[in-house]
Amino acid sequence: MLEPGPQELYYFMGNESLPITDTLIVSWILLILLVLVSRWITSNMSLKPGKAQNIAELIVSTIEDQIEDMLPGEGRNLLPFIATIFVYIGFSNLVVLLPGVPSPSTDLNLTLGLAAVVFMVSHYYGMKEKGILGYAKGFAEPVIFMLPINVVSELAKPISHSFRLFGNMVGASIILGLIYMAAPWMIPVPLHAWFDLFVGVIQAFIYGMIAIVYISVAKD
Amino acid sequence: MIEFDPAVIEAIINISAYVAAGLAMIAGLGPGVGMGYAAGQATEAVRRQPEARGPIITTMLLGQVVSASTSIYSLIVALYFVFAIS
Repeated sequence: MLEPGPQELYYFMGNESLPITDTLIVSWILLILLVLVSRWITSNMSLKPGKAQNIAELIVSTIEDQIEDMLPGEGRNLLPFIATIFVYIGFSNLVVLLPGVPSPSTDLNLTLGLAAVVFMVSHYYGMKEKGILGYAKGFAEPVIFMLPINVVSELAKPISHSFRLFGNMVGASIILGLIYMAAPWMIPVPLHAWFDLFVGVIQAFIYGMIAIVYISVAKD
Repeated sequence: MIEFDPAVIEAIINISAYVAAGLAMIAGLGPGVGMGYAAGQATEAVRRQPEARGPIITTMLLGQVVSASTSIYSLIVALYFVFAIS
């Protein structure tokens, strides 16, 4: 039977309420690998860049330009945050290309956690821009009766932000699982190119873009 | 009052969960139309101003993704019916 989502493998110190899932292990391995590879790429940078440095520079400058477009003057400030989200989500979407490895983004805990971080950062930027009282007054903006509606729409943001990535990746994994049951030879190859490469990279890009949009909405 | 066998009740719950999952995915219709319309408008905008291709594509993707979230919600509801209830 097809079982999407994280599978519980072990229990943390035998405690049933603290399961260690396969997506958790993959995400930790991915985090350590990303840190090590970034350290290795940036350890000996030169003016005449090699292949790895070229790719890293391309990613960094593209993301910085994207932030500068939507939030002028904040490119350097927000670059570490947004680029971390983009690179981490991107590689966790692409890791399914290795056979038998589940994608960490088919786990709602990862996407909802990152969305909660984006939620807090956007509110922090809003408060830094307008002061805490001025920012709180912004929720009752046109008339005071709009207050509950504004609060609910603010709380819906991280939910839609996280469920979008989660739904896309789980849907892709279910469709690929069904195809593997029906036709395991040759036919899944172009579908992998579509669902894992194209949709994965687009979703990672969109996740970062939406984070920028939320911060820029909170700022003005 | 008719007494049903528990197996019959379970079968009825399973059948209705699968039918409900199918019905929930009807919500995929609207976002499909909307995303296609956005893509068509973006194509027209690129034809009128080919030099503004980058920002147009970014704006189109953002709008499409936001409008696609309703279909993602319906997908999650359908997944809940299939894997959590049945």
